[in-house]
Amino acid sequence: MRQRGVGIPACRAGNRGDTRARVSPRGGTRQARVLTPLLILLAACGHSDRKKTIDIAVVVKALDSEFWQRLKNGAEQAARAQPDVKLAVLAPEREINIDQQVSILEDQILKRISALAVAPAGVAEILPVLDKAKGAGIPVIVLDTDIDWPSKLCYIGTDNRLGGRMAGEYIANRLGGRGKVAVIRGVLGVRTHEERLAGFQQALAAAPAIRCVAVQPANSERAQGMSVMENLLTTHPDLRAVFATNDQMALGAMEAVAAHKLEAQISIVGFDATREAVRAVETGRLAAVVAQNPERMGRAAVDEAVRAAKHEPVDKRVDTGTALVTQENAARFLK
Amino acid sequence: MNKHKGAGSSLPHHLLRRFGPLAGLLLLCAVLAVLSDHFLTFDNLVNVFRQSAVNALLALGQLVVIVTAGIDLSVGSILGFCCVLVALLVKSGVPAGLAIPLSLAAGTALGACNGVLLTKLKLPHPFIPTLGMMNVARGLALVISGGFPISELPPGVRFFGAGAVLGIPAPVLVVVLFCVLFHLFLTRTTPGRDIYAIGGNAQAARLSGVPVDGRLNAVYALSGFMSAVAAIVLAGRMNSGFPLAGAGAELDSIAAVIIGGASFFGGVGSVGGALVGALIMGVLRNGLNLLDVSAYWQTVVIGVVIVAAVWVDVLRQRASRRIGE
Repeated sequence: MRQRGVGIPACRAGNRGDTRARVSPRGGTRQARVLTPLLILLAACGHSDRKKTIDIAVVVKALDSEFWQRLKNGAEQAARAQPDVKLAVLAPEREINIDQQVSILEDQILKRISALAVAPAGVAEILPVLDKAKGAGIPVIVLDTDIDWPSKLCYIGTDNRLGGRMAGEYIANRLGGRGKVAVIRGVLGVRTHEERLAGFQQALAAAPAIRCVAVQPANSERAQGMSVMENLLTTHPDLRAVFATNDQMALGAMEAVAAHKLEAQISIVGFDATREAVRAVETGRLAAVVAQNPERMGRAAVDEAVRAAKHEPVDKRVDTGTALVTQENAARFLK
Repeated sequence: MNKHKGAGSSLPHHLLRRFGPLAGLLLLCAVLAVLSDHFLTFDNLVNVFRQSAVNALLALGQLVVIVTAGIDLSVGSILGFCCVLVALLVKSGVPAGLAIPLSLAAGTALGACNGVLLTKLKLPHPFIPTLGMMNVARGLALVISGGFPISELPPGVRFFGAGAVLGIPAPVLVVVLFCVLFHLFLTRTTPGRDIYAIGGNAQAARLSGVPVDGRLNAVYALSGFMSAVAAIVLAGRMNSGFPLAGAGAELDSIAAVIIGGASFFGGVGSVGGALVGALIMGVLRNGLNLLDVSAYWQTVVIGVVIVAAVWVDVLRQRASRRIGE
């Protein structure tokens, strides 16, 4: 008796679930009733609101680091200079959230924006949605990370291979041509990181006594850069240099090296030249960083996008420049 | 007398539970429709459904688990593993018609492991085995892919994420199909009702003859299966199997189920609610995207919505208790 008594209310909960699920069709008619006046209202608003603005969306991989924030500033600066441009700079929460970037792009395409500049979080994953943009007649500019997409109007970014080579040559020089080095890299399969790595390895090929003992991913994140570095120090205590394919990972690696008091033995080279990293170069905690020019990237993105929206000719490729920041010239990058 | 009281207390309570999440969704839609003139377009609503599909599929599996008073933290990782697996299989020449069932089987097997760990090893709470599986499956996804995304999938896989039938996107059809199946399963079958009984009171269910362990194994296997279904939709949508797919998706699916009115204490929850929960999250993200609000604020808003949804539930329970007295 008692057992059944307890069992039955629980079952009834199931039935309650049942009735609740059946609500949706009724909800549908309700929705229509509520939304019809809204639709009319909106249609009215739409008409009064029609201006000749150029809507530009710059969609980057994340906004959680100085690099992207500086790119955003550059884009906003360029947009301010042109009063008829309405700019939105958007990004997923983290660089690994490719599907979120795809959703953001879909939503922007739906708004029929005038032009789109995108830093692809995934080189292949993003192609279907870019095809949609093309289908909707929206010109697409590729930013920061190049992709093989035949319809891209323009690529704006750093020559990453060159940057990687600069890092490799610097490390080869600093080590006097011999010693163990390691690479901490960003998300696998992302071309910027592949190119930086390839350039680095190309430079090392010219210094056969230098051995690259490990290439480990740390997803461009600082905390992961630190833990990867800690593991590297355990397996390769005689490591002499580390190339991190972005500054966040370099700064994480720097903390790990400092905790082991190995600053004198290990040179760390980063990539991006965020202010924090350049300051670390100035104080000698990082050996060097390869500088990109994200402000220029952001400005170029908006300028080229506006040109594309106006059907004016667009540059096929905009190299926003690379430079090596060392202790000697760091002050210049901090101005 | 007693009966009267019962009816009086259960009516508003009942309505709130039934309409609460749906009313929330409609209110949200109304607000967004006013704020953005792109929101209430056919294309955008299709977009919302498409973007919510993966979360909705995961939420169905998660719902069944939460109804048993459990939790499945491994759904995002099993999704990642199956996403890579299906891509690897088709890339190595296995036809899509075989690769898809194999991946579904793999997801089901990983889910079943969760159940067996819980019921046979008697681990103290489903949190533990599924937390373990969350790491194992993500690790395996990285191992079998070498960390690289596997892209350019054949049409047989792409269809489920990017295809359409009569203008309706395939992922939406998949969601509708599974919603109907889950609804029938939970409300019209003995195992389905048993699941509510287990969540209501596992001890009582066991004493009244419900094969609790067997049902729990099946529930976790089902959740693994749904993760694999979501994986195929996502792989098709992104044209790629990438090992970090579904990172954080377990929490989104739990959020959808909870926003949809299910109780963490088990025994309560419905397919309609979970679907509405997933749609609320999808609509929020989509609407905020349309308004050019940054992803960081979206996260803040979703956090507030989760807490608010449960808080409303607490208020409701307190109110019904007061009426009961």
